[in-house]
Amino acid sequence: MTDAPSDSGRSAVAAPLVEASGLSWSVAHARIVDSIDLAVGRGELVGIIGPNGAGKTTLIRLLSGGLTPTAGEVRLSGRPLRELSARERARRVAYMSQESAQALPFTVMEVLLMGRYPHLGRFERESASDLERAHEILAAVGLRGFENRIMAELSGGERQLVLFAKALVQETDVLMLDEPSSSLDIGHQDRIFSMTQAIARGGRAVVASVHNLSVAAEYCTRLVLLDRGTVAASGPAEAVIRPELLDRVYGVRTLVTPSTATGSLTVTVVPGRALGRTTRVHLIGGAGSAVNLTRELYRMGYRLSGGIAHEYDSDEKLWRSLALYVESVGAFSRISDEDVARASRTVEESDVTILCSFPVGTGNLGNLKLARHARRLIVVDPAPGDVERAFFMPEAEELFRQLCRNATLLSYQDILSTMAEGRQSADTEGWAGRRSGPEAIRG
Amino acid sequence: MKTKPAPAFAFLSLVLVAAMVLAVGVGAVPVPPISVLSMAARALGLHIFAAPDATTAIIISQLRLPRVVAAVLVGCSLAVCGVVMQGLFRNPMASPEILGVSAGGSLGAVVAITSGLAAVSQLLMPVLTIAGALLATTLIYLLSSSRGTTSLLFIIIAGMAISALCGGLTSGLLLFARQYEVSQYVFWTMGGLDGRTWQHVLFSAPVLLPGVLALIFFSRELNLFSLGEEGAHSLGVHVERVKRVLLALSAVITGVAISVSGPIGFVGLLVPHLLRMLVGPDHRRLIPASALGGGLFLVVCDLVGRSIAPPFEIRVGIITAVIGSPYLLSLLIRTQRRAAGAR
Repeated sequence: MTDAPSDSGRSAVAAPLVEASGLSWSVAHARIVDSIDLAVGRGELVGIIGPNGAGKTTLIRLLSGGLTPTAGEVRLSGRPLRELSARERARRVAYMSQESAQALPFTVMEVLLMGRYPHLGRFERESASDLERAHEILAAVGLRGFENRIMAELSGGERQLVLFAKALVQETDVLMLDEPSSSLDIGHQDRIFSMTQAIARGGRAVVASVHNLSVAAEYCTRLVLLDRGTVAASGPAEAVIRPELLDRVYGVRTLVTPSTATGSLTVTVVPGRALGRTTRVHLIGGAGSAVNLTRELYRMGYRLSGGIAHEYDSDEKLWRSLALYVESVGAFSRISDEDVARASRTVEESDVTILCSFPVGTGNLGNLKLARHARRLIVVDPAPGDVERAFFMPEAEELFRQLCRNATLLSYQDILSTMAEGRQSADTEGWAGRRSGPEAIRG
Repeated sequence: MKTKPAPAFAFLSLVLVAAMVLAVGVGAVPVPPISVLSMAARALGLHIFAAPDATTAIIISQLRLPRVVAAVLVGCSLAVCGVVMQGLFRNPMASPEILGVSAGGSLGAVVAITSGLAAVSQLLMPVLTIAGALLATTLIYLLSSSRGTTSLLFIIIAGMAISALCGGLTSGLLLFARQYEVSQYVFWTMGGLDGRTWQHVLFSAPVLLPGVLALIFFSRELNLFSLGEEGAHSLGVHVERVKRVLLALSAVITGVAISVSGPIGFVGLLVPHLLRMLVGPDHRRLIPASALGGGLFLVVCDLVGRSIAPPFEIRVGIITAVIGSPYLLSLLIRTQRRAAGAR
């Protein structure tokens, strides 16, 4: 589509589509973007990530020619950006701004055809193929049939999709997207990034600033992490989406885990932890029954341990990622009496032991035996929707009845409110509220 | 709501011509439309109707026609400049008055009147009006531009300041003026087309017609400006250059237009608003439609002013305001009701 740029001296093949060197932009002595070097070649989708105020938008605007750098320069296929005429620039770079979704009186089609402006002469009208292309792109972003709708009457997300389509109608080799999915639902976010990925793979270059780190990790071929105007890290997602880098730049504790469903990296922020609690709490779980309690008690600052868990169980994985002390056995193996004996030390040292609600069979019968060692035992009363407490052997049910006689049966919410007040250490009578009986057994 | 553009243009052109024929015919000496058509045909070389008598011919060609043509020119210019300013500032309330054109023009006019220059030649007052208008605009432009960019927000602020300054100077001059000079000035500010001759037309048309045509050339850029300056820039519009050209053209055209008629309010606001409803927001249709509509509106207003209470003439500026403002209000209320009903 776009003719090969005629370069003086440099080979067009060797020069990357976008190349920034020593790019800086300052306002009133504050360096918003500071000596950034970046090269983006055909087929690349580069994600710019970083906290608010890191300079993502400024960098995108510098790269697309919307701002003139105070130092350094941008080259497009080897030609300095500032030497290009406005029209020539617009035939090479399309820019989608973050806050451009205004309520325009124009129809969707009229807005899309604005994207043809740099390709048309002053008195030239849009051709039939221009129209056809606009229709196709509109359908591709999922807005088929929206041609004659007025922009002002669309939702914010729909307007954003139209502006994305307009950038595609511009048919440039380079796309600069500033937060392209900021007001989109996850379905449209996926669509916009899948399309962007396909566009890059088709031999164009895309640079996008992305707030959502998991999205950035999933779709971008390369990430650039900005920290106060400079590049803190750059490379493939696995090299950039790392807690030690993110924690420093974003100033929070993060957890990076591959998603169970897709294998792509998921970034979560570990909640801030209250300090100063010395109470030790042991959690007996399994099948993910301890996940919510673990998270909440961890945040309250309790010193937690967990087990006996089967390896790769979701409880075990969470405990490991939070670096808790975990008693564990191999996946699918039976918890033996030796395992119980080994773990009983931990349970005996804990001020409180919480028995979560999980099904019991031969494999994890040991966990009920372990609960007998508790100094104080709380039995979780499952709410509808929680993991059901089921017993696949009569022995287990009998054991559970015995446990309940000396335990407190509390719902998840009650446990949280009690633990939040810290009553478990000061006031032993606090537990005496609801003595449980066999009626607590379900299943 | 939006009609097809071609019928809209045909309709506007037809009504404009009909209004012009009617306006030439109505007056102290009624002229039948057939005489007007006959003269028009003769001017085109078609001798199909009997020639009107000599008096009628002179009334038509020397008194009525220049006045009607001036009305079309001024109305067309004011409406088009209104559209352009509204597009540029992305605000339906914008008008060339932001650029200090009216305030500067008024200062020029009062200088012409109090210095006695207005009495020397019929053309000196328009010349001084233009000079005042351009001086004010240039000042505002220079104040709002720094390092190669012009801030539209700053233009509004600087425009208010310079307009206030011009207003103060005008009042100061009037304070020392003679009673009849003050009357003459007040009369001028009402805006009027009485006694406009071919001289006025010949003097203004070479500026107004090419100016309006040039503004039509920028329709597509004005459309892109609706995306914001950043959006227009990213699509390849040379934003600063286009902004400068449009501001300068609007100031010159409005300055020349009000030098012919005096300041006439509401044309630049009402006409574009109406036509936006008829042809939509696309400037490629809106600007030509406003050119026709503006001319039509002023011809009709002038006609009304002349025929309400003959032999007295009610000045056209008064008519545009009195017809214009209630009509604009009723339109606004109706659109709001419709929007509320649709929801």
